[in-house]
Amino acid sequence: MNAQSRTVEAAASTPVASPLRPRRRGLLDRLFSPFTMTVYALALGLGLGLGSAYEVMRGEYPFGAARIGPWHTWPDLGSGRADPYARAILAKRGDIPLALGEGLALRATQDSKGQPLDAACTYRIGALMPPTRLWTLAAYDGAGQPVQSELRRSGFTSAELLRNPDDTFAVVLSPLLQPGNWLKLPGSGPFTLSLRLYDMPGVAGAWKLGAEAMPSIERLECGA
Amino acid sequence: MSRWGRFLIATLCGLVLAAGTHIVVIFASPFMAERDAFDRLRATLDADKAQVIAGLGGTGTWLPQPDPAVALAACAFNLANGPARILMKTTPLFESLSFHAKATGVFYAVTDRAAVRDQLDIVVMTPRQLDEARAAEDDAEPVGQQEVRIVAPENQGFVIVRTVSPTPSQNAAAESAAGSVSCTIDEEG
Repeated sequence: MNAQSRTVEAAASTPVASPLRPRRRGLLDRLFSPFTMTVYALALGLGLGLGSAYEVMRGEYPFGAARIGPWHTWPDLGSGRADPYARAILAKRGDIPLALGEGLALRATQDSKGQPLDAACTYRIGALMPPTRLWTLAAYDGAGQPVQSELRRSGFTSAELLRNPDDTFAVVLSPLLQPGNWLKLPGSGPFTLSLRLYDMPGVAGAWKLGAEAMPSIERLECGA
Repeated sequence: MSRWGRFLIATLCGLVLAAGTHIVVIFASPFMAERDAFDRLRATLDADKAQVIAGLGGTGTWLPQPDPAVALAACAFNLANGPARILMKTTPLFESLSFHAKATGVFYAVTDRAAVRDQLDIVVMTPRQLDEARAAEDDAEPVGQQEVRIVAPENQGFVIVRTVSPTPSQNAAAESAAGSVSCTIDEEG
């Protein structure tokens, strides 16, 4: 209602049209009047500005990702040099990043061949890890919660791992029973992996490591 | 001016306004956020001990993607009330402290390896409080030789304690270690 009355006021200020003789103004004139154009510009500006900001804040951190094989990390998040987008996303998520002084956190959503991680498949993660005091590997379901199973295990730490005689290791993620270091997957849906390297020496340049220094994620078979 | 000219100018104005709105929202949101980590930790402002906010197993916490092998405790500080003193006694477990400002993120982190005589004694201060502490120091009788003083970029922030439990049998020890870190407010001298 208010918008309409304002249109009439705007029309009254021009000498050609008056509220007494509205039929002399065509529909197009009214559509392109300064008032409707102002409303249009404001709506476009606010709608697009707020919408794009909201859309960006719902997604991943847009800048500064470093990839090492299947793993990616955002080193600036843990060093206090985070860009404004990263700060906004952190605030929205309520997340608390791992500081570089504590270690390096890496995530994987795909295997080494670039296929998305699927909880119905079997994966082998190994065989080397960069030198670090302690590391943890954890799997999360699509909602970001640690995977749950009757084994009460949603990840491994470097201390509880069974290793090969040559000090390599393999963690097998599968919905089906596996020998060795078995992490049970829920059996359906996507999942993500987080690898956290605590107290890592030389962490400031760690994301320049080659893919061969990091464990690979190899898909073995799919479906049961 | 023709109709289309007017429409074009209105569209351009709209786009410029959109860019401005986008930038303002992105820059302002860390300061305006009401569900960010600091606001969720506001209840720990008055606590003397760090409060465990994500226990082992990683369930029942608001923290996104918690490490299930880590006991994570936190205490918030507001330097307007005085410098915040964080005291951590080391245990055989990995333990780290990280210092976060509300809007600008991590500003300092240290692990138990830096401990002196099995403890870490860290004081978070504003630049002014640091000047006052230096001025109050007596050269003949130095105090606080073992404390580490760090300047925070903002008054509001929080300290995060992470204790890793390497095996499930050490879970109880890890949680009690994380929760035993003390955070107190230093009286202004």
